[in-house]
Amino acid sequence: MSISPVRMMLRDELVGFAKSKVMVVLWVVLPLLAALGYFLLPTPGAGQQPPVPMVTMMALVLSSLAGTIAAVMIGVDIVGEKSRNVYDILIIRPISRTTILWSKFLAVFLCVTIACLISLGLGITIDLIRGVALPAGLATETLKSLGSVIAVIAISSSVGVLFGVLSNSTLVVVILILYVGQNLAIVPMLPAYLNLGDDWYWIMLVISAGVALGMMLLAGLSFRRTEF
Amino acid sequence: MGHRRYSPATVTPPLLQLTNVAKRFGYFPALRGVSFELQEAQVFGYIGPNGAGKTTTLKILAGLLHEFEGTVHIAGKEVPLHRGAVQDVIGFLPQNAGFQQWRTSESALRSLGLLSGVAPKVLDERITMWLERFGLADKRHVKIKKLSGGMVQKLGLIQALLHEPKLLILDEPLAGLDPISRNEVKALVRECRARGTSVLFSSHILSDVEDVADSVGILHAGSLLKSGTIDALRSELPVDIEIEFSVVPTFSVPLEEHQAVESVGKTTEQSAVYRIVDGADVDDVLHSFVERTLAAGGRIRRLGVVHPDLDGLYAEYISKADQQQRAKRAK
Repeated sequence: MSISPVRMMLRDELVGFAKSKVMVVLWVVLPLLAALGYFLLPTPGAGQQPPVPMVTMMALVLSSLAGTIAAVMIGVDIVGEKSRNVYDILIIRPISRTTILWSKFLAVFLCVTIACLISLGLGITIDLIRGVALPAGLATETLKSLGSVIAVIAISSSVGVLFGVLSNSTLVVVILILYVGQNLAIVPMLPAYLNLGDDWYWIMLVISAGVALGMMLLAGLSFRRTEF
Repeated sequence: MGHRRYSPATVTPPLLQLTNVAKRFGYFPALRGVSFELQEAQVFGYIGPNGAGKTTTLKILAGLLHEFEGTVHIAGKEVPLHRGAVQDVIGFLPQNAGFQQWRTSESALRSLGLLSGVAPKVLDERITMWLERFGLADKRHVKIKKLSGGMVQKLGLIQALLHEPKLLILDEPLAGLDPISRNEVKALVRECRARGTSVLFSSHILSDVEDVADSVGILHAGSLLKSGTIDALRSELPVDIEIEFSVVPTFSVPLEEHQAVESVGKTTEQSAVYRIVDGADVDDVLHSFVERTLAAGGRIRRLGVVHPDLDGLYAEYISKADQQQRAKRAK
């Protein structure tokens, strides 16, 4: 039985990223950091509620860190593989270059999204254990926060792919991600920052998907033209 | 042009054919109109100094470089236009082959073999066979990042062989290998030829090239100076005669004064190498040397025509090309 190259590439990339040391940060350290930050907040007096629910704290930490980590992880990975001639033995085989990039994108996107889900789940659990009164409509707000975080991860991952393809220097990739990618990744968070209505939230999600797709198309175009 | 193994009646279209291939990197001309061809079951050694354009040529053939002038046909298909159609035909070992560091040897080979369309069961057998053959059986589950450079080089070679391609393109396959492994790779190249696989490989180790190659191409500054069998290349160079005396003659007219001697090469107190002019009858010159030496009271310990090895041929052709370039610049 023949195995689809696309499925195989995606599975391989998922395994590779899931086992990477950077992912350990996302699987373990990120939730721990958020939890630590929460416990460092001033303790509420008797009968008072903590200033911020744990789940909100998690969402804040994730939105600020997860995207950057995803972008740097994927960008540095592509530059490293280019410099080690990994693609020389890959692209001579019957698999499209675009598939290679999409596999990386999806692998990092899924890994980081799962890490975020774990973190948010941890936040809700801690809040429940501590008996924190969760805000009204928490489920909706949590889902919306999650949607924004996922959109940030999608844009960041696509930016990481694009800069990874365009540059041959790890340092340049990191700088580009920090200075350019970060600004693009703000797009899905704009409704929250600007306190815009629900309509804007959905519009921004669509725009975010478009930005991520555009970045991936550019990356694919550039990768197909790249000479190794 | 490449040397054809078969008689005209059985001539088949070349498996690989390059015609006037040129490639520039910016303003730098990496290849200038390179043409050669390779038949089935032929081993072609591609040699040249650093920066001559060997890797560039091999990368064009493998499809890693796709913007170039001229035409390349592999198994009758033009590349990169029909790249997909020739992917099964080619096995490629790049210089400094790299793998994803988190993988084990087996995982890397398995993925690459599956991508090449090898059935899983067959692939298992081949991976086991090749790992054992290259002494890497105990490294099967070891991560790539823990392997030595030579081991990674062997894995690179194995990945090129997994789908049993008709054309093996190997960029410096012997680099970084110990003598035993080098012999193993050379034996493998011979086996490939016996099975009908063609091998095009670059190397700096000319004695190894001479050991396995049916024909060679000498590349210099992006141009193919010569290609053909080593014997054919030898026959195009002036002949050297080396003479060693047990009793040194006292010549009134020394051997270098012979009309067929073009120049004198390496000389010691008891021996000398004489370059014979193009077209001279070598047998006549040898007889003449014997007569003159004996007449002058000398005795000959050894006398013979010197057949240059590939190192000698290489040095000769490169030196000629350098001289021509200098002369061009001087004009």
